[in-house]
Amino acid sequence: MTTLLDTLLNGLALGAVYALVALGFVVIFKASGVLNFAHGSLLLLGGYLVAVLHDDLGFAGALAVAVLTTAAVAGALDRLLLQRGDPDPKAAHVQTIVTIGVDIILVTDLSRRIGGDLLTLGDPWGDAVTGLGPVTVADSRLAAIVVSTVVIAGVFALFRFTPWGLSLRAAAEDVEAAALMGVRLSRVRMLAWCLAGALAALAAVFLAAFPAPGLERTTGQIALKAFPAAILGGMASPPGALAGSLLIGLTEALVAGYQSELHVLGEGFGDVAPYAVMVVVLLVRPTGLFGAKGAVRV
Amino acid sequence: MNIRTTGRTATGPAAGPQAAPPALHVRDVTVRFAGLTALDAVSFTVAPGSVHALIGPNGAGKSTCFNVLSGLCRPAAGQVLLGDTDLTGLAPHRIAALGVARTFQNIVTTEGTVADNLMLGRHALSRAGFAASALRLPGAVREQRAHLDRVREIAELTGLGAHVDTPVALLSYGDRKRVELARALCLEPRVLLLDEPVAGMNGAERAATADVVRTVREQLGLSVVLVEHDMGLVMRLADEVTVLDFGRRLAHGTPDEIRRHPEVLRAYLGTGAPDETPEIQEALETPEAAETADPAETTKTTKATEPTDPTETTEETAVTEPPGENAP
Amino acid sequence: MSELVPKWGKLLLPALLLCALPFYLDAFWLRIGLFSIAAAIGAVGLGLLSGTAGQLSLGHAFFLAVGAYGYTWLAGDPGPALPPALAAVLAVLLAGAAGGLFSPVAGRVRGIYLGIATLALVFLGHHLLLTADSVTGGFNGRSVPPLTLGGFGFTADDPELTVLGVPFGAEERLWYLGLALFALTWFTARGLLRGRPGRALSAVRDSETAAAVMGVNVARYRSAAFVVSSMYAGLAGVLLALSFRRVVPDYFGLALSVDYLAMIVIGGLGSVAGATAGAFFVTALPLLMTRYADQLPLVAAPGTGGEGALGPTEAARYLYGAVIVVILLYAPDGLHGLSRRVRARLRPARSPDRPPSAPWPASAETSPATPARAKEHTP
Repeated sequence: MTTLLDTLLNGLALGAVYALVALGFVVIFKASGVLNFAHGSLLLLGGYLVAVLHDDLGFAGALAVAVLTTAAVAGALDRLLLQRGDPDPKAAHVQTIVTIGVDIILVTDLSRRIGGDLLTLGDPWGDAVTGLGPVTVADSRLAAIVVSTVVIAGVFALFRFTPWGLSLRAAAEDVEAAALMGVRLSRVRMLAWCLAGALAALAAVFLAAFPAPGLERTTGQIALKAFPAAILGGMASPPGALAGSLLIGLTEALVAGYQSELHVLGEGFGDVAPYAVMVVVLLVRPTGLFGAKGAVRV
Repeated sequence: MNIRTTGRTATGPAAGPQAAPPALHVRDVTVRFAGLTALDAVSFTVAPGSVHALIGPNGAGKSTCFNVLSGLCRPAAGQVLLGDTDLTGLAPHRIAALGVARTFQNIVTTEGTVADNLMLGRHALSRAGFAASALRLPGAVREQRAHLDRVREIAELTGLGAHVDTPVALLSYGDRKRVELARALCLEPRVLLLDEPVAGMNGAERAATADVVRTVREQLGLSVVLVEHDMGLVMRLADEVTVLDFGRRLAHGTPDEIRRHPEVLRAYLGTGAPDETPEIQEALETPEAAETADPAETTKTTKATEPTDPTETTEETAVTEPPGENAP
Repeated sequence: MSELVPKWGKLLLPALLLCALPFYLDAFWLRIGLFSIAAAIGAVGLGLLSGTAGQLSLGHAFFLAVGAYGYTWLAGDPGPALPPALAAVLAVLLAGAAGGLFSPVAGRVRGIYLGIATLALVFLGHHLLLTADSVTGGFNGRSVPPLTLGGFGFTADDPELTVLGVPFGAEERLWYLGLALFALTWFTARGLLRGRPGRALSAVRDSETAAAVMGVNVARYRSAAFVVSSMYAGLAGVLLALSFRRVVPDYFGLALSVDYLAMIVIGGLGSVAGATAGAFFVTALPLLMTRYADQLPLVAAPGTGGEGALGPTEAARYLYGAVIVVILLYAPDGLHGLSRRVRARLRPARSPDRPPSAPWPASAETSPATPARAKEHTP
């Protein structure tokens, strides 16, 4: 029983962090039709900045700088590289490959700086734990759940109540119509990328916090698990991304938690279980749980 | 090659009318989308070898009707029969193989030359599979050559002879529209469904397309179902007219009868005053023509079939999974 | 409209050149060439799937792995130890079957969803390669049994062979094998693209609805594209396994899939020549840059320099990333489109392609060679 509760809380925390990353994928996809392969390296960049700055600026200051810088880098990536080329929305697949190139450059650079080290981020939670009834939880995990919930609620409010959110949704519906209605697509796009970058930087903090050993050069690859999360929910649906992330987080935690019972599936199946879940869901619902039933435009 | 192909290719387009195609019966077809009734027990019969026009205001259900006929949309009730063959619920590619071809309201062509597009029309009539094409077996090469010859004939027939090897994207709007018509003809159809074949065209292009439709109907002896807002064209070409309004059949008859039909005039003009002068038809067609000639539309080559009303958005949903076999 | 029968003359010269290379280049260059050839075969397959049929796939590495491991197991011990040539053929069929098994997903899931669904193949496949170590050798992989054809071994000395004074080792022999397989790929893929299946697949890409009403069985063609593409990937996998002489799970990761995607986009979607060019570019560039990085400015030689110095491998990665970005910024239609434009500029007199009446939007100025490319299907 305790194991189960433990596992569920772990899954919830993981899912909350995946949601930050998945939401970034979805916002970028909605705004530009691009699958951002550079997301992992943006995440790594955010984490790295916190790691090198927290000694001088304190954790909060470092986090603020990291979030803003990552947002700026993401926005610049969109504005200076992706939007430079063909403005045609059909060019999204080319832009997707451009993000691969950017990812290679960023990852190479950050890996070179990080090397084989484990960087600490100086977060205030450290390795403290809190007892919640029968279970003990790492403070960092509780923080992940709380902060993610607040931030995601904020992002949803942005979608719903700000002109930018309205423009974003309009642009996702029909680019040409939105442009005719006076939506400044390039700015809407860029802000979407900024938001996604900021979310990625925030996620990095929780991915590197206890009980993880710290920030490694491979931390960015965790962003890949947000792909199935985003897809599970339906790529164009932010609430879907949230639900998908929780599902992925719980699956991963459950499989890892009951590893010994599932040893037939091989060691480390927890890492790939999200993908298995995703394939099954896509077989039943080809556009994800919350995706609009994919209308084929003739 | 199946019998239909060889028969038709051998005789060629100039060899005079073929045996009359079977009649197309539409019986009490009803289509509903999320509570909306897009078609309400609509019935009509397309007589063999005739031109049958479907007219009505936007949202009347004309396109939905075409989607039912071509298998893109499954009716909730009713039946579509081609001769004795039940088309209801067949996958689109099966209906195509039975000789029902269609064009789209907005141009839907594929990348490549005119010949590439027209050769797609020969798909159902040819057989070369992956292995035969990959290895370029003599049968596949021969088949491709034979069909290419026929494609050139059809291109000539439709006035595209000079453009056979031109990339479609470089053609004028009217020519691209005609590529669609020619591609549908390449299926050697027995029934040809034309969805607004002259929308957005100028006067000369309209006349040319009308000529093509008249010619192919005479020479190939096929039945034509025509959805068109250009009333002048409808009245000149059609043998029979069915008028739809809000998914129901409002009227049916010869063009002359329709012209005088009080219900039709009311639906179109919002007045009961019968007036038989051709100016009325001019009045009918002008706003539509202006609307469809929107320059924005001419640039959307591949996107096409923008939903014009909410029902059509939903109906495309049904298109997502054509009921077909999965196994290769 | 192109005929099925190619113009052999144009291909003769490059073919002769490629055949002559082993007499002038050493094993290092041949190995780079061999990897590139194998990549080209795989890229042609992915081009067919993603470029022609419009189905985004990130799972190509998985099908390469099926081919490579399939051959290794079928021809090896543990395994049935079949004659290697037979094992190679079976491995290709096995990859095709794997693609076929995926067809319930491939036939239904579209666009970006399909891309991510295929991503799952890579991760699940990698997990399988690590776990099923009785077949795959686990983390350390397996050594690959050499190919023999009728007593002739594609190895260094079975039998000893010297042609025109050049000793033929494994690289030289495999080079000709690779060329033959590539010729087969080129021949069959172009036949497919220019024949009935290619037209049907492009139609499915541009509009599934239009394809269906023209008589194309959409679900079936979508699945078939997957099978065919997987078979090319399987063939590439076999050739890679033979060239590496060892297969390890980590090679067949997501990065490999992404590399293949980069190949076909850099080369230019939808053309066999483009996929080939992209494959050579993506495969050979990092290898060459790693080899010659110490001659580039700002790069420290391996072993020298302290912490944070720019090593040759890193320099190669930077350049690789930068080149992808730059090429796609300035030639969104890839190397193929670029070469077409250059050729068009070289002979401006002959331009029947552009009648002056064409109602062409302004973007024509940037890419006259690729009219209205259809988008990847994004729901």
